[in-house]
Amino acid sequence: MFRPLIFAVIAAGVVEAAPVAKSLVRIEATFQEPSYKAPWNPGEVSGGVGAGFVISGNRIMTNAHVVSNARFLTVSKEGDSRPHPAKVLYIAHDCDMAVLTVEEPDFFRGTVALEFDGIPAIESTVSVYGYPIGGSRLSVTQGIVSRIDFQAYSHSGVDSHLTIQIDAAINPGNSGGPVLQNGKVVGIAFQGYSGDVAQNVGYMIPTPVAKRFLKDIEDGHYDRYVDLALSYKNLFNPAARRALGLKDDDRGVLVGSVYGGGSSEGIVKPGDVLLAIDGLPISSDATIAMDKDSVPLAEVVERKFKGDTVTLDVLRDGKPLHLKIPLNGPWPFTLHSNAYDEDPRFLLFAGLLFQPADQNWMSEYQPDDLRLRYTFDFFIEDKIYRERPEIIVLSGILADPVNAYAADFRYGILDEINGRKILKLADAAEEFAKPAEYYAIKMAGSGRPIILERKAVGEARQRILSRYGVTKEQNP
Amino acid sequence: MIFRILPLFLALCLPATAGVLPQPQKSKPEAAPKTLSVLRVNSTCQSYDFVRPWAKKPPVTKRGLGTLIGGGRLLVTAELVANHTFIELEKATTAEKSSAEVERVDYECNLAILKPADPAFLEGMKPLAPDTGVRVGDRATVLQLEPNGEIAQTLGTVTSISVGGYPLDNMGLLLFRLSAPMQQRDGSFTLPAVRDGKLLGLLMRYDARSQTADIISTPVIEHFLKESAKPSYGGFARTGLAFSSTRDPQLRRYIGLKAAGGVYVTEVMKGGAADKAGLKIADVILAVDGHAVDQDGNYEDSAWGRIAFSHLTNTIFHPGDTVPFRVFRDGNILEVPVKLETRDRSKIISESYVVDRAPRYVILGGIVFMELSRPYLQEWGGDWMKQAPPRMVFLDAFQNELPKDRGKIVFISQILPTPDTLGYDELDNLVVSKVNGKEIRCLDDVVEAAKSPVDGYQKIELNEDPGLIFLDAAAIEANRDALIRKYSLPALQRL
Repeated sequence: MFRPLIFAVIAAGVVEAAPVAKSLVRIEATFQEPSYKAPWNPGEVSGGVGAGFVISGNRIMTNAHVVSNARFLTVSKEGDSRPHPAKVLYIAHDCDMAVLTVEEPDFFRGTVALEFDGIPAIESTVSVYGYPIGGSRLSVTQGIVSRIDFQAYSHSGVDSHLTIQIDAAINPGNSGGPVLQNGKVVGIAFQGYSGDVAQNVGYMIPTPVAKRFLKDIEDGHYDRYVDLALSYKNLFNPAARRALGLKDDDRGVLVGSVYGGGSSEGIVKPGDVLLAIDGLPISSDATIAMDKDSVPLAEVVERKFKGDTVTLDVLRDGKPLHLKIPLNGPWPFTLHSNAYDEDPRFLLFAGLLFQPADQNWMSEYQPDDLRLRYTFDFFIEDKIYRERPEIIVLSGILADPVNAYAADFRYGILDEINGRKILKLADAAEEFAKPAEYYAIKMAGSGRPIILERKAVGEARQRILSRYGVTKEQNP
Repeated sequence: MIFRILPLFLALCLPATAGVLPQPQKSKPEAAPKTLSVLRVNSTCQSYDFVRPWAKKPPVTKRGLGTLIGGGRLLVTAELVANHTFIELEKATTAEKSSAEVERVDYECNLAILKPADPAFLEGMKPLAPDTGVRVGDRATVLQLEPNGEIAQTLGTVTSISVGGYPLDNMGLLLFRLSAPMQQRDGSFTLPAVRDGKLLGLLMRYDARSQTADIISTPVIEHFLKESAKPSYGGFARTGLAFSSTRDPQLRRYIGLKAAGGVYVTEVMKGGAADKAGLKIADVILAVDGHAVDQDGNYEDSAWGRIAFSHLTNTIFHPGDTVPFRVFRDGNILEVPVKLETRDRSKIISESYVVDRAPRYVILGGIVFMELSRPYLQEWGGDWMKQAPPRMVFLDAFQNELPKDRGKIVFISQILPTPDTLGYDELDNLVVSKVNGKEIRCLDDVVEAAKSPVDGYQKIELNEDPGLIFLDAAAIEANRDALIRKYSLPALQRL
């Protein structure tokens, strides 16, 4: 009795619908979101629905956010609502992509693997498939390609990649669904716009990003994106151009910062003018011409992998230089990025809960403490990672006589224990494990030390664990 | 800045004007003929716009009551006359008027002395003597003027006497708290509180919800008047130290502190009085001027009870006095004489208030340079700590941790777009490190450095991205007048 409905949808003028029905899957996920406020607890369980599609090799492609933190996954084929347990093969949080598989051998029988196409032309029409707002049957909407640009990917919150904006609404449940043109995948629906800011704006991940993900995992491991790890600004100003010895040819961008620990450290310098990347001339607005389109210069590195190199033509102090940059690995300091599939790290000592402040922690606690906000916000810009690779925060106090006078130190940054500088959570665990008469804990900034007597700590331990139902004292 | 504080209190007290609250109690038997001791003060104030530092904000008129203190002078809060352009005194019943000048103002204690232009204007009026004997639980009367010039009296109870933050600089000075149901009448809470015909203090803020008024206390007023009588005004001293309590027995055992009270020094301001006296972090202050200091930093005052020992150093004693501190350090007890001094405001990196003077700025080719101060940040409104540019908020908040000789924080506050600033329009709130290779410690350095362009360019180096910007020195000179004209600027700099 549902058949006619589907045909009615197809009759609405979408020629691709017939093969898509054999490729589209509905993904149901059961999540468990970790609790940062009581990190020893297993976390709340919730559910969600997304879309996916079959690709070569008996795999299903979807968005990372559809399956992140999932404890149990099922997929059902379009028109056949039986759920089949599925598992995640690879997940890329930095570009919101994942591939799944279903172990039941017969699952993929009768399905059709979709093929990828390139970047669709601006103003051309595309069709979006998925299960918006939770429905159990396929929904299709049409839109035109409005814009091709770099956009922030909200799943990680810090990564930007090439994105295609379309004027079809993309709603929860569309996520992971294919966007087709002439029967081929030209994108994966992944995020929309919420609120009153804009209407009929949806975003899809274009195929270069999807193809890069599939290539990255060919070796059985996802390596993440590599990055130049530097910042640059436009060079429109004529006086600046002349002062830097540039021609009036609208080329070049000025390097502002080179981030420590990144690929360009020690090779590129602040004040360098980047003229070309892999031989492609860089315009003064930081774009290059690629695939007949003008794209941000970062797109060159976007398509590369760990271990590749990139070349830069640079003007330094008026002299041209040719620099080779090995892309050794992804940017190491990911604390500003939303993290998934990770158990919160913590250390509980004398009822004092210490945790590394990362984006997950910040969004759960939202502290007002100025020093903490500064240390977190400017961690990379002010190179704080050099002296403090992790920001260890006293995030909570399980009140007990042993810590009765520690309340003022909440949200303080752990600086020293018994004179030892604490760089990582593991350092604190090590120091607290040492026998000492007193544990003198110094927090960053001015303030008295927190003093804990060994005897009192020992006496309090079981009392705190049982009173607060703590099942685990650390996850370092 | 004053305007930011004031409307807040006005807003708070709107419900009070709505008539929900009980009417103030009038004409208690204790009331003396106050008519002769108070005057209406109309103060027209105009503060500077720290976002457009070349402009003043629209004028605002505030009204309060001035209290006659002898010598033909009146006492008001400093807030009432902050950034004043014109002050007018008005007799309550006759509406006779005279202009007045500020003879002395101190924003730390929030007090000002006014002098009428016509010395005969106050003739026949009677000064109020200070009331030094008030205690918690005593009743006091707040005076207000009805539109017809009648005195309105509100009776309240003194609920606490303690050291608390004064508005502009958050300096901790003695204040009386009075619980009284008041009505908003004159757009200001500069009102005298009296008891038995004597002046108890001046109201400086009122919270309509809790119906409590904070009163500038008699000792603070007396200290202010004493300093004002000196040939050179000294003000209120600061020791330049921060401390925390030693309540935690584990801390007390750890540092071997056997004595009863004491506070643990956590911060000693470089170059401050405590620093010069040799006080150190981790010292425990046991007594000040022979008064034992308890675990929370209070001593037993013969008049006011348990109050913070800072009352001794900033109000009882005067700048220049030497106060003995008894200190516990490494198991020993030392007597450390601390010579009190006021803070040298010229050495402050980011000032907490800038009143009665214009913010400094320099505009180079359309790039606006300023020196960081808290009033600039406060332009982002009541929630400025979260709304203002984070980098600037942090620099202001942690300025004590910057090198002491760092000088002012000179930054680009905004760009007035011109052909010379093409491509720079979006730059703002960037700290300037060098101009033409010269280090920048104040705006005057910018002006001086700009006189010697490098190869014909003004080269401006920034601590943050983009790191480096250039202006064509000859072009900005040629476009000077056009810039002034287009943006209607009164001048390209004010120092």
